[in-house]
Amino acid sequence: MKTTQTIFEDGPHKWTAIVRDPAKPDYLIDTNEYLIQHAGQGLLLDPGGAEIFPAVFSALSAEFDPSKLAGIFASHQDPDIISSLALWLEFNPQMKCYLSWLWESFIPHFGGTPETFVALPDEGTAISLAGLPLQAIPAHYLHSAGNLHLYDKQARILFSGDVGAALLPHDKQGVFVEDFSSHIRHAEGFHRRWMGSNEAKRQWCERVSHLKIDMLCPQHGAIYQGDDVQRFINWFDELHVGVIRA
Amino acid sequence: MTAELTTSQRHGTGKESSGAALDLLRIVRINEEIKRVVAVAFKINIMALNAIFLAKRAGNAALGFGVLSNELRVFSKDLRESMISLTRLIHDLVGEVSVILQESRQDALFRRTVVQCPESPMLAAVLAQRDTQHDVRAQRISALRRSLRLAVDDAARLVELGGVLAKSAKIEAAYGAAFAGPLGQVSGEFDGVVEEIRSSLDTLRRSKFFGGSA
Repeated sequence: MKTTQTIFEDGPHKWTAIVRDPAKPDYLIDTNEYLIQHAGQGLLLDPGGAEIFPAVFSALSAEFDPSKLAGIFASHQDPDIISSLALWLEFNPQMKCYLSWLWESFIPHFGGTPETFVALPDEGTAISLAGLPLQAIPAHYLHSAGNLHLYDKQARILFSGDVGAALLPHDKQGVFVEDFSSHIRHAEGFHRRWMGSNEAKRQWCERVSHLKIDMLCPQHGAIYQGDDVQRFINWFDELHVGVIRA
Repeated sequence: MTAELTTSQRHGTGKESSGAALDLLRIVRINEEIKRVVAVAFKINIMALNAIFLAKRAGNAALGFGVLSNELRVFSKDLRESMISLTRLIHDLVGEVSVILQESRQDALFRRTVVQCPESPMLAAVLAQRDTQHDVRAQRISALRRSLRLAVDDAARLVELGGVLAKSAKIEAAYGAAFAGPLGQVSGEFDGVVEEIRSSLDTLRRSKFFGGSA
């Protein structure tokens, strides 16, 4: 079963990371899911693949009533992001799925009805969770052609999907980055290969540099906090991406 | 523990889904047999057309043969229509059984969730609702299975008629005077192809999908 860790809490406003499953078979990539709670409602970010649904559901249930999930935010269309959609919808068929308009007719192959999907424009948009303002931030081509991140201005947290992801070895399973220079080695190959556009990367770095970010939460690996956030943005800005080998 | 799950449990290839997978395989085999019958029915139509021309050339001596050849053309048309209705039933069955296969994977995931989260009332409610849906689907499949079996039996009765027509054509061929030889050959071919169809339908009726042994 996955574990949950509260990474931000301010009254009814809370961020929970759902991370690390010791029972997960090695052939499945490890993923992080995040739950934002506000005023009794929840938004689940990148709920994960169908195979890990039991682990995510049971961890989330220990923390939150799944029937109070108002929606799911999918950063992009990959199976490890959103192939569990049909299973979540069994619990609340009225639940909304926020995603890039580009994938509006692709993701229904995983489940849902036309009423399920809220197509987000390329430039991003505001999303409200029980009055909590959240902002979808464009991150197209990083790595998906229709890719969005989610920024919580009040918590100063950026959910960054695959940006910042690291494929960590078994002995480095901490939830937060502890030593940036050793951690980033596990992120380098991933970013070079998965991120397809240097121009898109440049624009993203410029865009998020204007945001106040205390934590940058990727879908794989560990969370960057404090000064490591800017360290990561600078490192990413310098990295030549879209290549198999440097 | 999740780590102790067998591969079949993890992927929903347990008893329920393997039953559906076997059913799907059997339905595919039935469909292949139906395609074979359709091809033979088309062959009968061409053969009957040639037989009608031959009977016309033979004149009065082959009047009866000509009538029977025409009836064999009608038989071929009826047989193709019968196979079209079988194909429709097969299409519906493939749809229903495919959904069961898809749902059984989700059921396996929900069962794993119950192991990790046994106290969740929401999970119990979802599983109960899914069970009800499965029952409805199982009833629909049973009804389709019965309809398919009845349609195969109807086709078999039609083929009996085709067999009688082919045998009668053989007898009529004997009265074909100078054309008795070629007419006999054609009627023998009719008999052969009708026998081919009978064999295909026998295979269908013995399918394990209907509780048989084939």
